[in-house]
Amino acid sequence: MATPIIMPRQGQSVESCIITSWNKKVGDTVEKGEILFSYETDKSSFDEPAPESGKILAIFREEGDDVPCLENVCVIGQDGEDFSAFVPKSEDEPVAEAQAAEAAPAETAATVEVAAQATSSEATGAISPRAKALAAKTGADLLKATPTGPNGRIIERDVQSLVDRGLTVSGAASANYTTAVEGSGINGKVVLADLNAPAAAVATEAPVATTVAEYEDVKLSNIRKIISKQMCASLTTMAQITLNTSFDATKILALRKSLKAGAEKMGLANITLNDIILYAVSRVVLNHKGLNAHCLDETMRYFNTVNIGVAVDTERGLMVPTVFHAEKMSLNEISKEAKSVIAAAQSGTINPDYLKGATFTISNLGSLGIESFTPIINPPQTAILGVCGLTKRIKEVNGEDVTYSAMGLSLTVDHRVLDGADAARFLKELVFALENFDLLLTK
Amino acid sequence: MPKSQYVDPGKAFDAGYIHFEDIPVCQYNKTLKEELKLYTKEDMMRIYRDMAIIREFETMLNEVKVKSNYNGVEYNNPGPAHLSIGQEASAVGEAYSLDINDLSFGSHRSHGEILAKGLSSIHKLTDEEVYDIMKEFLGGAVLSVVEKHMKSENIKDLAINFLLYGALAEIFARKTGFNRGLGGSMHAFFIPFGLMPNNAIVGASAPIALGAALYKRSNHKPGIVISNCGDGATGRGPVLESLNFASMDQITKLWGMDGKFSDGGMPILFNVFNNHYGMGGQTRGETMGFDMVARLGAGFNPSQMHAERVNGYDPLAVIDAVSRKKQLLLEGKGPALLDVVTYRVSGHSPSDSSTYRTAEEIEAWKAADPIVAFKTKLILGGVAKEEEFAAMHESITARMTEIMKLAINDEISPRMDLKKEPDAIASIMFSNQNVPSMDTTREPEVLMPKEECPRVKEIANKVRTAKDENGKPVSKMKMYNVTDALFEPIIDKFYEDPTLIAYGEDNRDWGGAFGVYKKMTEAIPYHRFFNSPISESAIVGSAVGYAMCGGRAIVELMYADFIGCAGDEIFNQMAKWQAMSAGILKMPIVLRVSVGSKYGAQHSQDWTAICSHIPGLKVVFPSTPTDAKGLMTSALNGTDPVVFFESQRVYGFGEEFNKDGVPVGHFEIPFGEPDVKKEGKDVTIVTIGAVLYRAMEAAKILEEKYGISAEVIDTRSIVPFNYEKVIESVKKTGKVLLVGDACERGSVMRDMASNITELAFDYLDGPPVVVGSRNWITPSFELEKSFFPQASWIIDALAEKIMPIPGYVPEQNFTEIEKIERSKKGI
Repeated sequence: MATPIIMPRQGQSVESCIITSWNKKVGDTVEKGEILFSYETDKSSFDEPAPESGKILAIFREEGDDVPCLENVCVIGQDGEDFSAFVPKSEDEPVAEAQAAEAAPAETAATVEVAAQATSSEATGAISPRAKALAAKTGADLLKATPTGPNGRIIERDVQSLVDRGLTVSGAASANYTTAVEGSGINGKVVLADLNAPAAAVATEAPVATTVAEYEDVKLSNIRKIISKQMCASLTTMAQITLNTSFDATKILALRKSLKAGAEKMGLANITLNDIILYAVSRVVLNHKGLNAHCLDETMRYFNTVNIGVAVDTERGLMVPTVFHAEKMSLNEISKEAKSVIAAAQSGTINPDYLKGATFTISNLGSLGIESFTPIINPPQTAILGVCGLTKRIKEVNGEDVTYSAMGLSLTVDHRVLDGADAARFLKELVFALENFDLLLTK
Repeated sequence: MPKSQYVDPGKAFDAGYIHFEDIPVCQYNKTLKEELKLYTKEDMMRIYRDMAIIREFETMLNEVKVKSNYNGVEYNNPGPAHLSIGQEASAVGEAYSLDINDLSFGSHRSHGEILAKGLSSIHKLTDEEVYDIMKEFLGGAVLSVVEKHMKSENIKDLAINFLLYGALAEIFARKTGFNRGLGGSMHAFFIPFGLMPNNAIVGASAPIALGAALYKRSNHKPGIVISNCGDGATGRGPVLESLNFASMDQITKLWGMDGKFSDGGMPILFNVFNNHYGMGGQTRGETMGFDMVARLGAGFNPSQMHAERVNGYDPLAVIDAVSRKKQLLLEGKGPALLDVVTYRVSGHSPSDSSTYRTAEEIEAWKAADPIVAFKTKLILGGVAKEEEFAAMHESITARMTEIMKLAINDEISPRMDLKKEPDAIASIMFSNQNVPSMDTTREPEVLMPKEECPRVKEIANKVRTAKDENGKPVSKMKMYNVTDALFEPIIDKFYEDPTLIAYGEDNRDWGGAFGVYKKMTEAIPYHRFFNSPISESAIVGSAVGYAMCGGRAIVELMYADFIGCAGDEIFNQMAKWQAMSAGILKMPIVLRVSVGSKYGAQHSQDWTAICSHIPGLKVVFPSTPTDAKGLMTSALNGTDPVVFFESQRVYGFGEEFNKDGVPVGHFEIPFGEPDVKKEGKDVTIVTIGAVLYRAMEAAKILEEKYGISAEVIDTRSIVPFNYEKVIESVKKTGKVLLVGDACERGSVMRDMASNITELAFDYLDGPPVVVGSRNWITPSFELEKSFFPQASWIIDALAEKIMPIPGYVPEQNFTEIEKIERSKKGI
């Protein structure tokens, strides 16, 4: 009995995933537990193991395909077995049937990509005046548009979809752009360079083949696209202001030193400076509710709990897993939880539900020697704390210059809902807490 | 249907006979000697002069038409000239005893009547009166020409020049004509002399003249009304309807039941210039069966309309008859009918080659020329000598030549310059005034204080929203609905404007077929509010005449489908007279029509397209109580003709959109302003009429099932219409559907779709799509859902023509192939 493999649904809000790579091809034999293919959501990536042993009878979706969750992706079975029953409907009749199945009452329906429509309405080059105007304004790459209007007409939503997917053409390139090419610019934008290479080759047949390519085109990953969109959205919708300060890290460095020595004996985690800052923030930020909040259109949602997002540098790009209810955790518990979610994010196996719900974010570039920076807020949050590296500073104590280790803090807040003084007050209390961390711990 | 009059089966079948009185046929037989006791020599010579002036005027026009030359002056007149050579004695005889309070309406062949009544008025007015009239008319524009460029012996002489010049300049389409050249030969008129509009539509003056008589009768004004037409016009429905309408029993039996307002019968004389031909059709012997026009009188009321046949070739016989009829009318014994026998020696128009009559016949009538006969009579009777007539003719010819030279001089008598003043005509299409009362000098005649009117009391206790404060639907009995919303401004106007009059079929006790006037009978007297006969032409035509005289009328046609029965009155009369009079006339008429459903093909059609196509009409179509009240208030305060569309689907509806309910006090909704009934961002749905509620249903489905946010805009007005709000919405959504219950082909929705395409082309994400009824007959109620636009059709059209909706399966076929096929078949 052949077994269909579906595209799993990773989290309630996930509707589809992109297949990033296939480890097997049709006809290959697989053992139970072997990785069949890898896929990613907009937030993380996963590997799909074979549920049982057998032969790959069919593969319905290729690398790069965006596959609706729960839809069949491939079939494992024995030679000669019939798998026709498992052919996904959308593969069969991409237009009407797939849509009928999707018909659900969805607030997304209006903006949903009606890609499948394209097959029924052949592209005719027709475009509505409105879509044309939007394309002109946004530089959308119309050659890549999938018409979903009647009679193959490109309508507004089709252009919007291109813009949303970053499929645009630069102004310089647009004049000579007649055949769709992969864009190499930011977010996949087609730039002049994308046109010149093949065009020049055709026109002059020279230079023949250069031994070393001058560049390499790499398609943006889904995660990169999401990051790009979110960062731009953050900066275009908020009035962000960054305040820089530093604090005397003498006490936390001393604590860190003693922890390092005694952690094992006490059964404590390997508590880092970052964990200490997480702890201090989890205690202080509740006194500054404006910074532990979401700005939702016309209302503010103030949280009574502190869910700290921790920015993590991963191979795929920036990810921000969440440490939930940090205000209720001990320093040790915070340290353990932070390590666990960071590891999951880095390995790409994190549950997508852990990638949302933060009320405040901390981004630490201290280990890379950064002295100050302007972190970008993750909407709808209202603040993000940047943690910088340690530097030696001098201060006057009893008329003598004394050196000490200072750590930089860069706080960005949303000036629409918070004023500079609000942010400064938070920083002042945070600095006091960190400089007197022993007192905070005993509290 | 008044309950005061019992229809008794015990008497309805009584045996007996209908008795007729003899109708006098050319019974006038006074001798000149007898007449000289009534008329001085000057009177006789003036009668002669007036006939001679008319003859010369018509001769001049004929010469210009056929030879492009009159008395050595070259001119080409491309316009019409329906001349009345031969009919002068009839015209002068009629005008002789009329004064400026007596209003006369005529036909396409009325130059003679204009000149005759004008000359008669000039004779009767004092020098001061006549000079003031000339000075005030069009700011002295006509007067200044004759004052400056002609020598006049005295004021009366000046006034004759004024009359001849004003009429001729009008015929030659000059700006210095009586109506700025916008009326022309067939429509010239001059109200200060009681010369009301003449009409190019045969018989159309009859219901208009009836309306003028109604105005006099209901507003107790002095004088009588003359409705002139030819014998051919007696075959026209509107003429026959008017004869009956003027003869209605109720005028003498019911109007003024309490004795308070009784003025007697309708003061109108239907005067038929019986020249024996309706164009080329011979009425007596060929196209009619009455033998003599006078016989008609016997068909309309027991007094036989005091009908008489008179010798129209003898001015004294005509004067005798008209004077007697005028006396009868002033005594409250109207209406009256005269059959004035005459003959048109000239053709119907200069292109008439008289194929329908023999040369002998024409020669015989020429030999009986009434002007020559009258001259001979005066000479033989020793009243005047041949030389006096010769001198008179010489002076008339000289005067006419001079007048003609003035009227064709482009410097002195320029035409309207539409290049220099491109809005000259546009600015007079509507008067656009706000006049709450057409006569502020009188108190309105009513039967009780407004507060005591049973309907007013009933409405005071109604809930003015569709749902109560808890969101529960208000019971039908307690809910203020669209009929109440229409009633309120109307009853208010009855107590504000003494000239307001309302009528139509079954208006009074029944309250109109749909109950808008329910329980108003107790408050408003008969002469302001009555049941008309089933005579749509006369209903609308009389409203036109009523308004021309300075009154305000609200008339009702029950179903919109009956517009066809009053086609000429709505489309040629009500619509056009403000502009044809160069803005001299106002037309404060509200014509109520109701779009039906359930009653099949001849009682369910939305005729907005036809009305909005005709320039000069304002057209509105409210669908909510607030809009109905606000637009009716505006319509009743205005001075323009309004076709007020209502829908039988929504008469019982309460206010669903305005949360505060329908405002209690006076408020206007300006014409032309559409209303956003629901805001949205993805698609715009523009509605005309009651389809609003189906559009709201579609919007709900789109929103709840497909996440598409629709903006619904109710046009409310059709003419005028401000596109700004619609364009603003289309710029936002890029998608627009136009929905209405009218058959799709040639509909207002089509017109709007085309305009939106022009105005918002660059913002469109698809073509503006029209969803109207099928181009069929309206089927029975049970099949209507396949004919009228439904909520699902709106979604179908959006999905098939503008923006496919994932997961939506359309029911209706809106594809292009289907559209072309339907169009090929004309369905």
